[in-house]
Amino acid sequence: MADELELLRGANPVPSHDPRFGDGPLDHEAERRLERLLRERPPGRPARRLLPGPGLPRLVWGLAATAVVAALAVTLVLSGPGTTPAVAAPRPLVVQTGSTPLPLDRLAERAEQAAADGSPRLRKGTHVKSWSMGMSDDKPPITLPEERLVRWRADDSHTELVVATDPRYPGRPVLSDEGGEPRLVDDGHVLSDRTYPPSWSDAPPHSPPPADPARLRAYLTEAQYTDASLTTPELLDAVGVLLDHWTLGARETATLARLLAGTEGLRPVGQVTDRLGRSGQAYVCEGTGVRHMLIMDPVTGAVLGLESTFTTAEPEYGVKKGDVMSYSAWMR
Amino acid sequence: MSNDEIFAAAYREHYWAVSRYVARRLDGRTGEVEEVVAEVFTVAWRRRADLPPSPLPWLYGVARNCLANTVRGHGRRRRLVDRLGNDDTAHGRHIAAGPEADTPGAWVHEALARLSTADQEVLRLTAWEELAVDEVAVALGCGRRAAAMRLHRARRRLRAEIDRMCPEATADTHCVKGVGHG
Repeated sequence: MADELELLRGANPVPSHDPRFGDGPLDHEAERRLERLLRERPPGRPARRLLPGPGLPRLVWGLAATAVVAALAVTLVLSGPGTTPAVAAPRPLVVQTGSTPLPLDRLAERAEQAAADGSPRLRKGTHVKSWSMGMSDDKPPITLPEERLVRWRADDSHTELVVATDPRYPGRPVLSDEGGEPRLVDDGHVLSDRTYPPSWSDAPPHSPPPADPARLRAYLTEAQYTDASLTTPELLDAVGVLLDHWTLGARETATLARLLAGTEGLRPVGQVTDRLGRSGQAYVCEGTGVRHMLIMDPVTGAVLGLESTFTTAEPEYGVKKGDVMSYSAWMR
Repeated sequence: MSNDEIFAAAYREHYWAVSRYVARRLDGRTGEVEEVVAEVFTVAWRRRADLPPSPLPWLYGVARNCLANTVRGHGRRRRLVDRLGNDDTAHGRHIAAGPEADTPGAWVHEALARLSTADQEVLRLTAWEELAVDEVAVALGCGRRAAAMRLHRARRRLRAEIDRMCPEATADTHCVKGVGHG
């Protein structure tokens, strides 16, 4: 009599030699996904560990914004004539001199007051403008500005639109690494426009964030796939992950503000104008080789943006102390 | 090598094995394989610091959890389209009669489907992914001893189902489908 495992082996619906899934080189789509993962902003790690190794392609560091600065990257791609492209390298936000820092617990109180009527409400999906520093061990760093809009539908499907754009320079060509090599594209050039079929998950960050600071901390910890308690830089990374999935309502905003008010190492430094021209209060936390600045709405307590800057130079990658590694500006 | 490089190497080496793992469990919904595999590696990427030296069984464990979400989502969709009542998926018309329909494998699948989900998984990991017991333990997130025990019991139960369906089951693996429903 045949062994039951033998019978089962013979009934393998997808044997290892199946032509659709047989071992071999990755196809284009799988390569593209790997590339995207390797470029994703690595959460809560010391900067040095994130640098690309020899032979690896340029690593996009995350989401970085800028005001104006030296065109470190410009020589790479900008031989084209005509309009000045929007490719300036990052410069950190500047705290307005003489502005009064607003303590986080005071801001949390304001957020709680603003949430009294319950509006606006939590919405799944995000709208974020981001600037990312891409680095390579044999080329100067570049900054990739993008806008990403994710909207969920009633049937649990969702759409994601990503365009290359830099709101600081409307209408000007924008640097993109679409296809792997940096090049200039038109402002508003669609990098990705996809509709995803219905999907569902009860795990953070896909599940709705709780409206309780302790449970929100646990949620953010789980969203980072760790059981260990998050350091403050890791917590800020997790906040970025949350806001890349959800547009918080007033209640969740107040919960987040209360959680941040109870977090050590976040220092109020004063008022800033964010990269979309919004006025905000800035809170700073020092990580290993990186300084994180959280920008929050002084009235509602909403997180407007998160900026990460290098606090040490990485000369082998053309990175100077003070360069912006990443910047995200979230909108409703 | 950095975590990122180790991850990239594991991705390249095991992408197709993980794809097969997922495809085997999606019951012919091959259109969803790529999406689920992408989710598996996204989760693995975030947990890349945990990637063990032999990552494949661990990746199967990640895939198992991702599939659980997918199946729940699929179940919700099925309920929705069932309610709508006019979708081909709801009526099973999207399932073409493939070569598998009349193959010997069909009744073995039927026997397997009568077991608990946990039994099915330990058997599939052993027979289809060809994992050793200690690798099964990694994929299931349990100890080696527990994995061995689960496999032993699951084999016994599969044997019982096969015997019930096809008392004379032999190496030629043919059986009359549907006999002896228990």
